[in-house]
Amino acid sequence: MKKLTIVTSGLLLIVIILAVAQVMMTNILSTDGAQLSKLQAEIEKYKRENALLNEKILQASSLTTISEKATEQGFALTAQTYLSTPLPLALKQ
Amino acid sequence: MSWRLRVALFFFVFLFLAVIGRLFYWQVIRADELARLGEMQYGRRVLQSAQRGEIKTSDDFSIAANKVSYLVYANPKEIKNREAVISVLSSLLEEDTASISSLLSMDRYWVPLKRTVDYEIKEKIEALTLSGIGFEEHYMRYYPEASTAANLLGFVGKSDYGEDSGYFGLEGYYDRQLRGRGGGVIQLFDALGKPILAKMNNSGGKTDGRSLILHVDRTVQFIVERELKKSIEKYAAQGGMAAVMDPKTGAILAMSSFPAFDPRSYQEYTTDLYKNPFITDTYEPGSTFKPLIMAAAVDAGLVKPDTECSICNGPLEIGGYQIRTWNNEYKAGETMTEVIIHSDNIGMVFVAQKLGLKGMVSYMEKYGIGEMTGIDLQGEVAPGIRDPDSWYPIDLATAGFGQGISVTPIELLTAFSAIANEGKRMEPHIVSMIETPEGEVIHIAPKVQSIPISAKSAKIVTEMMVQAVDKGEAKFAKPKGYRIAGKTGTAQIPIAGHYDPHQTIASFIGFAPADDPKFLMMVIINRPTTSIYGSETAAPTFFTIAKQLLAYYDISPTGQ
Repeated sequence: MKKLTIVTSGLLLIVIILAVAQVMMTNILSTDGAQLSKLQAEIEKYKRENALLNEKILQASSLTTISEKATEQGFALTAQTYLSTPLPLALKQ
Repeated sequence: MSWRLRVALFFFVFLFLAVIGRLFYWQVIRADELARLGEMQYGRRVLQSAQRGEIKTSDDFSIAANKVSYLVYANPKEIKNREAVISVLSSLLEEDTASISSLLSMDRYWVPLKRTVDYEIKEKIEALTLSGIGFEEHYMRYYPEASTAANLLGFVGKSDYGEDSGYFGLEGYYDRQLRGRGGGVIQLFDALGKPILAKMNNSGGKTDGRSLILHVDRTVQFIVERELKKSIEKYAAQGGMAAVMDPKTGAILAMSSFPAFDPRSYQEYTTDLYKNPFITDTYEPGSTFKPLIMAAAVDAGLVKPDTECSICNGPLEIGGYQIRTWNNEYKAGETMTEVIIHSDNIGMVFVAQKLGLKGMVSYMEKYGIGEMTGIDLQGEVAPGIRDPDSWYPIDLATAGFGQGISVTPIELLTAFSAIANEGKRMEPHIVSMIETPEGEVIHIAPKVQSIPISAKSAKIVTEMMVQAVDKGEAKFAKPKGYRIAGKTGTAQIPIAGHYDPHQTIASFIGFAPADDPKFLMMVIINRPTTSIYGSETAAPTFFTIAKQLLAYYDISPTGQ
């Protein structure tokens, strides 16, 4: 009889512990879900910002843009100069 | 066992089998249908479109990228102060007030106002906190270099199902690689019907597209386009095209044609501008074909550089047709090198006759004439070679100097890679690598398509072409100090059974430095009007580009 009481009490204790654990886990998970949602939104935000920055970088570094800006600032193509014979290091007086 | 026990046993066994049968029906036969029904009760399937892969030049610059874009929509039933909203939206979205007004007057809960709206505009509208106005984010194709390499890239349009789809050029050829695979996610709802964001099932099978890394060099492409545009204006031509190839690998370093279109607003252009004429248009190559025939005859051991032409003392009659030189000047006993230098048609008839029909057709096949080159672009055509039985003596004679035969520019460029690359003809290729979203890189190895001539024959013909540049009609334009192998071409255009004497396709093909080529280039000026000759239009364009490429590749003059 005593043994049965101990087993019953033990089982009851386990049930109570598991019930409390479940409540605690549910509680934790519910806030984790909100946190996860926030993180997902943040990832999306950074992805968007990254894409926008990438677009600006591509636009600014495109040869079409650089060429236009160079022309605006007065840069021009120069004739290429070739040295067909090597220049002397020093000329005799 | 008594009969009552047996009845009870059979009864329970029957019940057990019935339950198993019913479970099999629900869980196996109607499983998919019921799963869908279940999903519909607690969630909704949201489609996720895959992000299209980028196209990058060899310096890792995205020449075709994706940008954030918005669809602006409205719920007309929630709009307050309608007149003010119409006024502000028409101004910010650059739409006329009548169309915005009609959209906002519709008896609907969701009306799309404008697609492809930029982030800045979306921010401005959002700052106004207008009720009933919303935004849907998506990615759209973006070309930072505007119309640069438009015919090479193609464009992204919509398929019959309203999905992004690549057309023409690389966007068309590699569409399946670039587009990726869209997926679906299940958006769950709580008992009140509110979405549970944190419970969204993200394993929707979405796979972003793969990116392409090209052989195309952005600087080379820019130089080619700039100089080609200038030449078309300078020579008052209808158009032009050019391509630069690494003859040792078949890598296409640049390819351009004009008139072109802007892939960002392709709808505003006529459809004939979408195709890439370098791979889709056929023409008679004229004198640029001569080095190929000469190389074939040299390779077959039929002629040598100092072999004298025995029929070059005047015009030639074949099958009732008279063949003349381009300037009506004749030099008896010309050597084969001089035939190439002076671009002598009679001399090339001599070579073609030595080669014979069988030899001519055989070498053309080895050069890949009449076949697809296998370039990785959508829309390539191959005009084919006529059946040898249908050739007349005049056809053999004119084929020797590139008339009466049709090729695409890419065919000719690829055939010339054999002369520039010790006899090996390479497969032309635009893409060098494919990059998966996971970062895995798939390399595309260079491929030898055929070996039409020996390395020795290639060297002999290269020397002839160097002489043609140094002593030929276009010598005035050649950059000093470099050994460049090349050949001019002035092909008449066949119209209604005869050649138009005033309209030509002027071209120049060559490679530099001749002894260890860094690039093989072809320039075509379509119907120039200031001069009809390749030596006065295409050749100067070629040399202007070549000068800049030699400087770009840090190749010093050799002083010869």
